[in-house]
Amino acid sequence: MTAKRLRIIALLAISTVFLLAWAFPIVWSVLNSLKTDSDVLAYPPKLVFTPTWEAYRDVLFGSGSILPNLLSSVIISVGTTVVTMLMAVPAAYALARLRFRGKKFAGFYVLATQMLPPVGIIIPYFLVLRNIGWIDTYQGIILIYLSFSLPFAIWLLVSYFEDIPFEMEEAAYLDGASRLKTLWRIIIPQVRGGIAVTIVFVFLNAWNEFLFAVVLSGNTVRPVTVAMFNFVSVEQTLWAKLAAVSVLAMLPVVVLGVVAQKHIVKGLTVGAVKGGGRR
Amino acid sequence: MSGQGQVSFRNIVKMHGEFAALKGVNFDIKPGEFFALLGPSGSGKSTTLRILAGLDAPTAGRVLIDDKDVTSTDARDRDIAMVFQSYALYPHMTVAENIAFPLEMAKLPKAEITPAVKDAARKVKIDHLLDRKPGQLSGGQQQRCALARAIVRKARLFLLDEPLSNLDAKLRLETRAELKKLQRSLGVTAVYVTHDQEEAMTLADRMAVFMSGEIQQVGTPGEVFARPNSIDIAGFIGNPPMNLVPARYVDGDVIIAGHRLKTTATIPGERDVVVGLRPGALRMAEGGLGARVDLIEDLGDTAVLDLDCAGTMIRMRVADGNIPGEGDTISITARPQDIHLFDPATRMRL
Repeated sequence: MTAKRLRIIALLAISTVFLLAWAFPIVWSVLNSLKTDSDVLAYPPKLVFTPTWEAYRDVLFGSGSILPNLLSSVIISVGTTVVTMLMAVPAAYALARLRFRGKKFAGFYVLATQMLPPVGIIIPYFLVLRNIGWIDTYQGIILIYLSFSLPFAIWLLVSYFEDIPFEMEEAAYLDGASRLKTLWRIIIPQVRGGIAVTIVFVFLNAWNEFLFAVVLSGNTVRPVTVAMFNFVSVEQTLWAKLAAVSVLAMLPVVVLGVVAQKHIVKGLTVGAVKGGGRR
Repeated sequence: MSGQGQVSFRNIVKMHGEFAALKGVNFDIKPGEFFALLGPSGSGKSTTLRILAGLDAPTAGRVLIDDKDVTSTDARDRDIAMVFQSYALYPHMTVAENIAFPLEMAKLPKAEITPAVKDAARKVKIDHLLDRKPGQLSGGQQQRCALARAIVRKARLFLLDEPLSNLDAKLRLETRAELKKLQRSLGVTAVYVTHDQEEAMTLADRMAVFMSGEIQQVGTPGEVFARPNSIDIAGFIGNPPMNLVPARYVDGDVIIAGHRLKTTATIPGERDVVVGLRPGALRMAEGGLGARVDLIEDLGDTAVLDLDCAGTMIRMRVADGNIPGEGDTISITARPQDIHLFDPATRMRL
C-alpha cells in the first residue's frame, strides 16, 4: 500500500516538473503579451499588473502588422499539406500494396531522407532555388517543404494502409469496383484516421518551420515564424510584441492539437499492436 | 446479367517460385451445381478458387466460364460473387450500403437498388439490421451480410471460401442447411471451398478432392465415400476415417494379422496391399479376426471402439446396445464388397 502510494507521489512529482518546464515558456509568453513594455522589463518581474491588449493591437493593426505574415504562413502550410496529401496517399497505397521493381529501395529512401540533418541540405536547396529563380516565392518554399513532408507523410500512411486486410480489396474487385474506385470508396474511408493525423503533422511542421523559411524566403513571402524576428533588433527587443506574435502563431497549433489529440496519440502508437491503429 | 454458370478448368498450373501449388488441375462444373473443393490445408483448393475468381492468375492452363476463355479477364468483369472466410465486410458502411455496393458498381439506378437490397437481406433474414455497421453485428449476422452482398447481384457464379469456419458449431450446422436451401432456391452455380469433409459431404452435389496440388477424385459425395480413389482420400473422408491396414493379397483374399478375408478382387497372384475398412462396415461375427477392445468412445447412439488386432490398430463403429466391454476380446469381419484395396507404392486404388 505504502509502496504504491510512494510510486504515485513520485510519478506526480516528476510529471509536475515536466509540466512546469513545458508550460513555463507558454505562460511567460501569454503573460508578457498582456503587459506594457515597461512592465515586461520591470525588475523584479511583476506578477500583478494591469493587462492590456496594446501589444496585440500593435502587431495586428499597427504599422508593422503581422497579418500578411500570418497569411503567408497559412498559404505555405495549407499549400504544403494539400500537395503532400494528394501525392502521399496514392504513393503510400502503392508502397503498401503493389509489387514493383525497386519497392524496397523506395521504402528505404523515403525513410533515409528523414535522417538527413536539415542544416546539411539548406545550402544546396538555396542554390537550386536561386538558379530556377524561386527564392522568395510560395512555390519555392512549398517545393522545399514537400521534400521532407512528403517522405514523412508516406512513411506514416503506409502503416495505416498495411492494416487494411487484402480480402477487403479483393471483395471490392469482385463486387465490380476498379482499383481507383476501391481506393476511394473502400480503402481511404478506413484510413481516414491516419489521414487526419498525417494532415495535422504535415500542417504543423510547415507552420512551425523556421530554418528553411528564414533562408529561402524574403520580403514577398515571409511566414510568421520569420516575421517575429522583426521585433528583435540590435538595439532592443520588443518583448511584449514578440510575445503577442508567438501567442498568435501558437493558436492554430494549440487548436489543432486539442481537436486532433485522440488521433495523434493513436498515430504515434500505430503499428505497436497489430491492427491497433485502426478505427 | 446472369448466365449459366458453367465452369471448366483445363490443365491449370500455379507456381509460387519453385513450389507447385497446383500441378495441372482439370474439372468441370455443371450449371446450377453445388460443387465443393475439398482438401486439407495447403492442398490447393483455395488457390483454385482464387484463380476461378480472377484474384490470382494461373501460371499455365485455361479457365473457361460458359465456354468463354476468361483466363486473363479481370475479376470485376467475370460476373462472379464471393463470400470470403473473413467476410470482408466494409466496416465503414452500414449493412444496407454493404449489400448495395455491387449494385452501385454496376451503375444500377437507385430506384432498383433499394428494393434489391431489401430482398437480399430478407432472404438471409437480416432485413431488420440494415442500418447497423458490421462492427455491431454478431459473427453469424456478419456472415449473413456477406451472403446477402453476394446474392444481391444475381451473378452467374457464387464462390464460398470456408464461409462457415468462423461460426460456432451449432450455428455452423444451422447455416449449413440454410445455405443449401438458399442455393437451391436461387438456382445459381456454387463453388464451395472447405477442409471439413462433413461439410462437403452434406452440401455438395459433387466434389473435387485435392491432395498436395492435385485433384485425386471428382464425384458425388456418395461415390467418393463408397469408392475412394486413393489412400489419402480414404484417410480423409468419413468420421472416423477409413482404417488403412497393411496386408498381404493372395488370389482374391487378403491376410490381416494372420486372418484371411474374402474380397471382390479377382486378380490372381500375390502382393503387398493396403486394405481399407470403414469403421461402420466392420461387424462382429464368429470365426473372424480376433481383436481386443482397447478403448470405447461412446457417442450416444453409436460408439467407436479402438481395437488391437495383433498389434494393428483398427477402429470400429457399433450401434448402441451392442457394445462390448473394454478389455474384451471380440471377433470381427467385413463383407467382401466393403474391403477396399490400395497399392502401397502408388497409393492409388487397385
